[in-house]
Amino acid sequence: MRIWLILIGAGLITYLTRASFILAGDRIQMPAWAERSLRYVAPASFAAISAPALFGEGGFTGVPDRLPYLIAAVATLLVVHKRRNLPGALVVGMTSLWLLQWAGL
Amino acid sequence: MTDLSFDATAARSGARAVFALAAPGIPFGLVLGLAVSEGGLDRLAGWSSGWLMLAGAAQLAAIDLLVDGASAGVILATVALVNSRHAMYSAALRPKFADAPRWFRLAAPYVLIDQVFAVANALEDVPLRTRMWHMLGAGGVIWTLWQVAVGVGVLAGAAIPDSWSLDFTVPLMFGGLMLLSISDRPGVASALIGGVVAIVARDLPQGSGLLLAIVAGMAVGGILSERTERSGATRP
Repeated sequence: MRIWLILIGAGLITYLTRASFILAGDRIQMPAWAERSLRYVAPASFAAISAPALFGEGGFTGVPDRLPYLIAAVATLLVVHKRRNLPGALVVGMTSLWLLQWAGL
Repeated sequence: MTDLSFDATAARSGARAVFALAAPGIPFGLVLGLAVSEGGLDRLAGWSSGWLMLAGAAQLAAIDLLVDGASAGVILATVALVNSRHAMYSAALRPKFADAPRWFRLAAPYVLIDQVFAVANALEDVPLRTRMWHMLGAGGVIWTLWQVAVGVGVLAGAAIPDSWSLDFTVPLMFGGLMLLSISDRPGVASALIGGVVAIVARDLPQGSGLLLAIVAGMAVGGILSERTERSGATRP
């Protein structure tokens, strides 16, 4: 029972967080600087979500141990940049990761 | 009164747009289901976190904490913090849906996860009806796949070898989404700052480093774009 109550609470918190501004709609007026910064939510948060997981637990100092992962990430980003094709880029990225690991890097 | 009735074409295009982003969610869902079964949690309750929360990172954090026997307060505070970026997604989408009917503004936030935000945020200059059904089509696809993936993970996640590193597709996908969401130089700066701060601050408690990184990236993007506009040196 405890687990259900906690998960229902977690679900409510999640929903209310997402609903906050969309539900308010026209009733709130955002200051210009906030509207401007919000244009950059997507690049800032997607970078912030991916970067730590790409570099691993060691952060910047862990780079030598993460080479296969980082090379795979660079390959993925190159394909996204050139082709704008995310699924294809993921296939390229994972294939290069497996090849690099297989080669013992 | 504008016609906002179901638009199958828009829903299909939203579904297609999110489908590519949904694939990396599958190993993540499997990992999550595995955490439920290996942690010895009630399987039905653990799986239900999928439709109750429809979240990736926050859901995994909640499951991990439940397995560790953390208090309800710690679990709920962690969920609030890890999910706080969704308030910013909500704020970014607000102008796009300010004219949408109330039922939509009540329903849409339920499916506003990262990938759906990416899809809804990328759609510009189309009629409200298209925007609405595009987002709901994307949400419907990702909702369904997520429930299935978590369910399979609860029942059979242990069958996937760790050595495949399938969970690495998640940061790869977010890296790709980052590139696709950059449309100007301040966008490049906001991504760089967001990424660097997130790495430096990764050990701050309960994911607060992520929030700090996002706010820093947004602020830098906002300041730089204002400066570019004021100097009148806007380049294409």
